[in-house]
Amino acid sequence: MSEPNAAARKRVFLYIPTTFLVLFFVLPLVALVVLSFWQTANYKIVRDWTTLNYVTLATESAYIIFFLRSLLMAILVSVFLVVVAWPIAFFIVRFGGRYKLIFSLLLAVPFLSGEVLRLIALQGMLGPTGLINGALMRLGAAPLRFIMYSNSATFIAFVYLYLPMTVTTIYLSLLNFDLRLASAASACGAGRLRVFSEVIWPLNLSGTMIGFLLSFIPTLSASLAPRFLGGPNGTLYGMSMAQQFGESGTWALGAAMGVVLVLFSIAALVILSLGVNLRRTGFTGMER
Amino acid sequence: MTDTSAYIKIDNVSRHYGPVKALHNLSIDIAKHEFIAILGPSGSGKSTLLRLIAGLDRPSEGRIFFKGQDVTALPPHKRGIGMVFQEFLLFPHRTVRENLAFPLRMTQETPAKIKDRLDWAEGILSLNGLMDRYPNQLSGGQQQRVALGRGLVTNPTLLLLDEPLANLDRELRQEMEVEIRRYQKQLGIPFIYVTHNQEEALSMSDRVAVINKGKLEALGERQEIYDHPNTPFVARFVGRATRFDGVSDGTTVNIPEHGYTFSPSAPVAAGRVSVFVKNERFALGASGTPGIACKVIDVVLRGPFVEFILEAANKARIIAVQPKRPDMHAIGAEIALTWDANLAHIFPAEA
Repeated sequence: MSEPNAAARKRVFLYIPTTFLVLFFVLPLVALVVLSFWQTANYKIVRDWTTLNYVTLATESAYIIFFLRSLLMAILVSVFLVVVAWPIAFFIVRFGGRYKLIFSLLLAVPFLSGEVLRLIALQGMLGPTGLINGALMRLGAAPLRFIMYSNSATFIAFVYLYLPMTVTTIYLSLLNFDLRLASAASACGAGRLRVFSEVIWPLNLSGTMIGFLLSFIPTLSASLAPRFLGGPNGTLYGMSMAQQFGESGTWALGAAMGVVLVLFSIAALVILSLGVNLRRTGFTGMER
Repeated sequence: MTDTSAYIKIDNVSRHYGPVKALHNLSIDIAKHEFIAILGPSGSGKSTLLRLIAGLDRPSEGRIFFKGQDVTALPPHKRGIGMVFQEFLLFPHRTVRENLAFPLRMTQETPAKIKDRLDWAEGILSLNGLMDRYPNQLSGGQQQRVALGRGLVTNPTLLLLDEPLANLDRELRQEMEVEIRRYQKQLGIPFIYVTHNQEEALSMSDRVAVINKGKLEALGERQEIYDHPNTPFVARFVGRATRFDGVSDGTTVNIPEHGYTFSPSAPVAAGRVSVFVKNERFALGASGTPGIACKVIDVVLRGPFVEFILEAANKARIIAVQPKRPDMHAIGAEIALTWDANLAHIFPAEA
C-alpha cells in the first residue's frame, strides 16, 4: 500500500536538493565557463569563442606568480591550521567535560561579526601603528616589519579566519571517536605516540581532511584578506580575479580565473579523497 | 617488608576521585594458573580495580606487584598484560590480522615471530578464513574471539577481561564461558574477569572476589562464596536469595511477618536478624504441614528448573526454584513453604 507513496516521497526528497543545486550551483558554473571562453573589450562582452583568456593566464608571469603564491599560501595555511587545531580540538573533547559545548560555541563567536570587520580589526592589530607594533615602539623596540602589509600578515589573517572551521570539524570528528579505543591500544602495548599515530590519527583522518579542505579552498580563492593586509607584494589569485570583475572590467578573464580555481579545488578534493581509503579511517558505512 | 611472593599481588590499594572513594584498602593475592572473577554491582569499583591492574589508572594509595616486581608506576604498555573489553574495542580500520598483529608490532617482534603467533591465534580461536575481514564484517562471537586473541597473542603475564560477554546473546555467552575457561587452563596464566553477572563469575572462575562500594566483601572459592556467604551483601548478591526479617532468642529464629519459627543448627546471637534463603533451597510441603502457608500464583518454566511464584498470607511474593518434575504444583495450589535450617544464612540485622 505505502510502497509507491514511499518511493514518491523519496523522489521528492531527492528532487528538492537537486533542483537547488542545478539552479544555484550548476547553472552559474556553466555561465562562468561560457563567459571564460568569450572576450571583454571596453567594458563590453564580445561573444567570440576564444581560448585567449586561458593562454593569458598560462603565460603571463604576473598571473602565474599570483597563482603559485595562492597555492603555496593555501597549503601552508591549511597545514598550519591542522597542526594547531588538532591539540585544541583534542583537549576540548578530552578535558572539556560538561563545558565542551560552551567551548565549541565560543569558537563560533568570531562569526558574529562580518569578515570585513574582522579583517579591519586585524589591520588595527598588525599595522605600522597597530596594537602590536605600537606597543613595541612605546617600549623602545623596533617594530616587526614582517607583519605589516605583507604575505605574513595575510597568513595570520587566514589562520584567524579559518581556525574555527578547522577546529570545529576536527572537534566533531573526535567527538564521534570512541576514546576507549585509545585505552585498548594502550593496553595492547602502545606508547602515547603509537596510540596517536596508529589509532587516533587514522580514525579521525576523514574529519581532518574536511577541516583541511574547508580552509584550503577558501584560502585559494580569497580576495579580501590579501586586499586588506597583503601590501604591495601580497596579491593573491582570488584578489586579482576580483579586480578583473571590478576595476579593470575584464570579466571574461576573471571568469577564466574562476574556472581555474574551481578546477584546482576539485583537484584538491579528488587527490585527498583518492589518497584516503575510507575503510582505513574506520568508515563503516560501506556494504550496508 | 611486604611479602611479594604472590604471582600478582594487589596490596592495600585505594583509588579516590576527590572525595569519592572508588576503591578502599583492597588487597588480593592471585596465583599463577588461577581464574579469578571480580564480581560486583555497577559502580562497585570493580572496573576501577581492573583499570588499576592494567595501568590505565594509578592508585591513590597502595602498590601492585606482578611476579614480585612493583608495577604501580608503570604505564600499561610496560606491564605485559593482555586485556579484553566489554565492547571488544577492535580497531575498526584494521583487518582481523592487523588487529591481532598490533600488540606484537608494539613489542617489536620479528616478522617471523609475528607470523608464528598469528598462526597460533588463528588456530586456537578458530579464526580461519576471517583473518582479512574488518571487524564490522564479523559476528559478535567472532569479534569476541578476535578480542581474546588480541589479548593473548603476546603471551601476557595475565589477561584482564572486562565484562567481555555482556554484549553476546545467552547461548553464545554460555559457549564462550566454557571456551574462555579452557583457554585459561591451557595457557596457565591468571585470568582476571570482571563482571556484574554472578552466573558468569560462578561458572568460570576458581575464586570469586565480591566487591561492593569499593570494598572487598568476600574472597574465596566459588563454592564457598555461594554456600557460606560471610556478609549479608554476599548472601543477597551471589545466587538468588530471599530475605526475611527475623528475631532470634539465641536458639530459635522467628519470622514475625509469616508467623514461622525455625531452629538454626548453630546458635545465633539474640536480637533482630536478617535471614537469607537461596531460592532453590526452599521446600514446598503439603498445605497444612508446618511452614509458611503460600499459594502458587504463577509457574515459570526455565528448562530443567521451575520457578514457583508464591504469595504468602500477607501478600508478600516469594520465588522458589525447584527441579522440574512431572507432578509439580499447579497454579492456585496451596502449599507450606519451609527450608532446611542448616542452609539458611543468618546475620544480625543491618541498621
